Parts: sequence; structure tokens; C-alpha cells
Amino acid sequence: MVDESFLVEKISISGPTLSSILQRFASSSGDVDGLLFGHFTRLPPPDPHDDDPSSSSYATASSGAASSLSAVITGYFSSGSPMSFYDSIGRIDSHSLRRAAAAADDDRRPLLIGWFSARRRSPLRPSMREVSVSNSFLETLTLASAAECMPQNPNPGSCIFLLLSSSATENQAIHTHDYRAFVLRMKKSPIGARILEPRSLDIVNIGPAFRGQYGSFSPESALPWLPWKVDDELAEPESLRNLKDVAAAQRLLDSAAEGFNMERLAHLVGPGIAEYASELEDLYRKMLIKLEGLARLVEKSSARVLEQENRNLKLRCRLAGLE
Amino acid sequence: MVAEPPLPPTISAQLKHLLFHSSLPFRVEQIWSGCKNSRFSDRFTLLIPFCLDYVKWDIVYNALFPSAAPDIVFSPNDEEFCPLLPIIDGEGEVEVVARLKKSFLWDWNGKDPSRLLKLVEEMRDLYVQYQRKRVGEIDDARLKFEISTIFSREGIEVCLGAGTDKSEEVKFVVPLLDIDLNKHVHACPWKQQQKIYLQAIFPVSRMYSSAPSAPRLKLVSSSQLKDLLSIEDVKLPSWVDGMCMAEYLPTLEENLKIQVIEALASIGSRRRFIEALVPKFGRHLEADPIFCRRATFLAVSGVFTFLVHFSLSTQFPKQQPILTLQSSQHYNSQGAPILSPSLNDYPWSPRWGDAEMTERLFDFIVKECVNFKRYCLDAVAS
Repeated sequence: MVDESFLVEKISISGPTLSSILQRFASSSGDVDGLLFGHFTRLPPPDPHDDDPSSSSYATASSGAASSLSAVITGYFSSGSPMSFYDSIGRIDSHSLRRAAAAADDDRRPLLIGWFSARRRSPLRPSMREVSVSNSFLETLTLASAAECMPQNPNPGSCIFLLLSSSATENQAIHTHDYRAFVLRMKKSPIGARILEPRSLDIVNIGPAFRGQYGSFSPESALPWLPWKVDDELAEPESLRNLKDVAAAQRLLDSAAEGFNMERLAHLVGPGIAEYASELEDLYRKMLIKLEGLARLVEKSSARVLEQENRNLKLRCRLAGLE
Repeated sequence: MVAEPPLPPTISAQLKHLLFHSSLPFRVEQIWSGCKNSRFSDRFTLLIPFCLDYVKWDIVYNALFPSAAPDIVFSPNDEEFCPLLPIIDGEGEVEVVARLKKSFLWDWNGKDPSRLLKLVEEMRDLYVQYQRKRVGEIDDARLKFEISTIFSREGIEVCLGAGTDKSEEVKFVVPLLDIDLNKHVHACPWKQQQKIYLQAIFPVSRMYSSAPSAPRLKLVSSSQLKDLLSIEDVKLPSWVDGMCMAEYLPTLEENLKIQVIEALASIGSRRRFIEALVPKFGRHLEADPIFCRRATFLAVSGVFTFLVHFSLSTQFPKQQPILTLQSSQHYNSQGAPILSPSLNDYPWSPRWGDAEMTERLFDFIVKECVNFKRYCLDAVAS
């Protein structure tokens, strides 16, 4: 059962994550769905001295509730074929969900907070199956978090659902992308069903308007976290695991820096600057060449993925008796 | 508009099956594709008949996975209708799963053309229950009473709607008369079961009122029934203050039953009348063989040849036939044959026998054809 004391009041998503979902959707030939990762943060209690009558009444109304939460979407995973983790009546298959979540996992385990569905040229309202999937999702998540007992990152009994739709004009000149975010909650309606309630979606971006938000925003990234004071002797004795992490991170950085270590950067100030500058340029050039090689690799593998997708499509058509 | 591609054969077969084999008048409004550069369309808007109106459901398939089960997006006002979640009273998780495992969605077989129809009918049944439940939870003593007294009748549909001034109102649609009308018509051409319904719209009032206003009542019939009986001509018995539908319906049904029997008998009298015309007018050129509402004869007066169209109302013989004469020799400037105005002010009595009716009509036409010929000549000359 949903714990009513947790209310997800706000949903935010980082600009790159949203654009990446949109790109994934726009480049696929059909409908796309997938999982959303992120975390929940507690919203500060509303200011009781606010003069605004609407917000003060809101404050009294929500004072009974334990806290309101903000959901932050930081990443997603899409397997490429729709309906991969649920069935035709919208029941979650917990095995494939776990598998999909594991595929997107790294060491620090971003929390699975919901899912998204993107379907072209269709109304921006949750469908029959989407409501059911969200419902089943919530049950699966609540069960999983109860079983694993994650004290620092509990799932507050919410399922975030992001619905996307897109359309294009006939000549493909204008593409419109629409999206709406929902949170599943019990509605005190006569029917008493759980319904998906729309919530506004904040996009966290770089820019003066978002400075406050951006400062408090912690993105999830596959790049290692590099502590800036590695050899601070006053630091607490580090655990073996931490040391290992740091060493692995250093190796990753070294491989990119081609042996150009931090100390040499210090020479950039003062005499002999010209020499070091050319050395640095050389490093950049090498890095660029590496990047180019990577880009070419990505291009090649993309072409192969596309080829395979086309082959799959043909097979599916044949299976459905379309040829 | 760029033409949308066609539906894949399997989905198209399901849709065709739905439109041809359903007992309800489903309609497709629009078909379009949700895939990029696809050879096939995969979504369409289906109009679902409900409560003498239509609700719009978007059926969403996936052209890339044509054998996968479709999804449905319901109307904007029905966001609380979630048929895959508990919906019926006292339905828990276990019951829902049991219900869904019997659902046609559960083991979807895209190659079976009857699937879509079965799915839509299943969802429509649940929708009817959902609307009943919604109306049942309105806090209005009178509505609660109406519901408790008539919900046991079969086939009642109710829905909660908004009136012209945005006030809440509840629409009841009650199928009347337990008669299979299709069976009573000889060589019945109707594919769908014809029915007569009472539509009663009650305003919702959450406060107690000793003299609640009468509901807005209207008789509605399925569209093809008009060949047999014009439902607008049926007079509704008056609604007495303080009445409820359970009291009102028996009187109405009795009343209606008599009229339906009369309408069915009227087919026979029209048939006999048309047959009685034959000895005088010769064999008809054309006649409606089922409801006998129209017949056309060829007539000659000297060298003037013309057609006589008889149009018989459902109230025949109380209402006299409407005659129209059509010349075979005179044409207007557009090249269309000249028609006389409708003639229905000739001597007539429903009490005459068929032979006398025919005799008198023949005499009338003999006189009238002179006028008609003059009328034709004038029309050609002008």
C-alpha cells in the first residue's frame, strides 16, 4: 500500500537526460519505453511567514503530512524494444526489470524511480496499459526496497511516469516533442483507484535562472569521482576499498592524460612557458586524434546496430505474415 | 493531407471483423501511423457506442510488432477508468489477476481476427460498470432511489455528464420492450438488432428537495427503425410529480407496445393496398418489398405518359398516401424530368376498403393528369 505521508510534489530532470531521451525516441522508428533512474530529495518545509494566501493555506494543509519530496531524474535505460519488462496486461516482470536495472547499474546504484513511454502521434494521456504498468511498478519497487532495506535511499512508494509524444509536419520541417510527467498516487475519489497525477517537470539546465538549482544538483555520471586532495595527510585513514577506487580513477585519468601529470601544469606559470605550451598543445592534439578514432568506432558500431535493427524488423514482419 | 499508409493485414482483418460482426454500431474515425517512414499504419480512433452517444477511444498498435496486443487511450474525461486495475466493488488484487487472466489481452493472438472485437466488447462492458459505479456514488437521494429500483433491469446504461449550464446531470438509457423487432419483420434487412430506448436526464441535486423537477424524457430508436415506426410521433405519457422511473416505465411500455403492433400491422395493410392498385394501374415498376413504403406505377393518358409515385407513411391507412407525378416526356432546362408538387389533399378515408381506395385514387389521377400536363407544358415553355 502506498504510504500517504510521502508526497512527490516536484519532478525535475537534467537537460542532458531529457534531451537524450528525446533523441533516443526521435531516432527510433517506433514506440520506445524504458526505465528512469534518479533519487528523491526532501523539500524544505514551506515558509510559514509567506504572505501569499495560497501558499500559506498550502502550508497548513501539508503540515500534517510528514514531508514532501522532489524526484530528480538523472538517467534512463531503454532496451530498444517496447514491452520488454511488462506484459500485455501491464504486469511487471520482475526478472527482466532486475536485469534491465542491472544493465544500467554502476557501483553507486542510482535508484530506480519510474519509467517512461514514448509513442508518436498519440494523445498525451496515460493509456490503459501505462496506468497498469505504473501500478505494478510501484508494487514491485516497494517490495524490492523492503527486501533490500536500503536505509539511506528508501523508495518512498512513488512511481514516476514520463509520457512523451511527438509529431512532425508533412514536409518534416517542424518536429514537435511533447512530454508530461506523472506521479502515481492514491486518489481520494469515489472510485478510490490509484491514478497518475500530472506534475510539472522542471528541467535543470545551465544558466543564470538555474544557478541555485544547478549548485544543489548532483548528476549521475559514469566518470569516476576524483577527490581533489588525494594526498592530504590529515585526511582520515582511508579504507582499502576507497584506496582502490582512487587508484582506479587515477589510472583512468592517466590513460587520458598520456603521462602528463598535474605537477607539470604548474610550469605553465612563470618562465619557460612557451615550451610547456607547445607540450600541452601536443597533448591536446593526441587527445583529439584519440577522440576522432573513438567517433569513427561509434559511427561504425552505430551502422552495425542499424543494420541489425533492420534485419530484426524484417524478421518480425515475416513472423507476422506481412511479406 | 498526405494519405496515411494502410493497416497491416492482420490488424486490418481484426478491424474489419469488428465492423462487420459487431451487434453495436462501432465507427472508425481516423487511421494513422505512429512509426517513422512505415509502410503501415498502426493506430486508429474508434467511436464506441455508449448511452446513445459515442465515446472516443484511441486504439494503439505497433506496426513494428503487429502481433503484439494493442493498447487503448480513453477519453480525456475518463482518466479514472483503469480496466486493468481493480474496478468492480470488492475486487482485490487476486480477483483482478483472475479477471485479467481470462481477458483477451492476456494471451493475445494477433492472427485471430475476432480478437479486437472481443477486447473492445470486454472493455465496453467494464466501462458500463465503471459509469454505473460513478453514478451510484453521487450523493443525491432521488438518484439513489431510482438506481435501487431500476438497476435490476437488463441493459441499462447510465453516465454522468454536464448540462448546458455546466451543472451535473445523469443520463439513464433504458431499453424498452422485450420484443425482438427484427424477427417480426418479414425478410428483415436489418443487420443490427433494432431497439427503442427511453433517455431520461436527471439533474443532480445534492440537497433535499420535496418536489424534484421532472427528468427530461425522450424516446430514441436505433437509426434503421424509422422505416417501420417514426419514434418522434409516439406521444410520451406525462410524468406526474413525485413519480419514479419504475412507476413510469410500465405505462410507457404498454403504450409503446400497442404502437409497435400497429406499425407491424401497417406493413400488411400497405402491402395489400399496393397489390390492390395493380388491377387498375397495371404492374408496378418499382416497390419497396419489405416495408411497402414506396411504389411506382406507369400511367398513360392518350399520348401523355407519366409515372405515379406513391409514398406511404408508417401511419397508413390513417394518413393518406402522398402522390407525386413525374412526366416521361417533359424535361426542365437541366434535363431532369418534371415532377408535380406532392399531392395529399384528395378525397380519402381510412375506412374505405382497398378496392374503393384504388377506385377513388384512379379517378383522382385521371382528373389530375390534365392539370399536370398543363403544368409540364408551362414549365417547359418558361
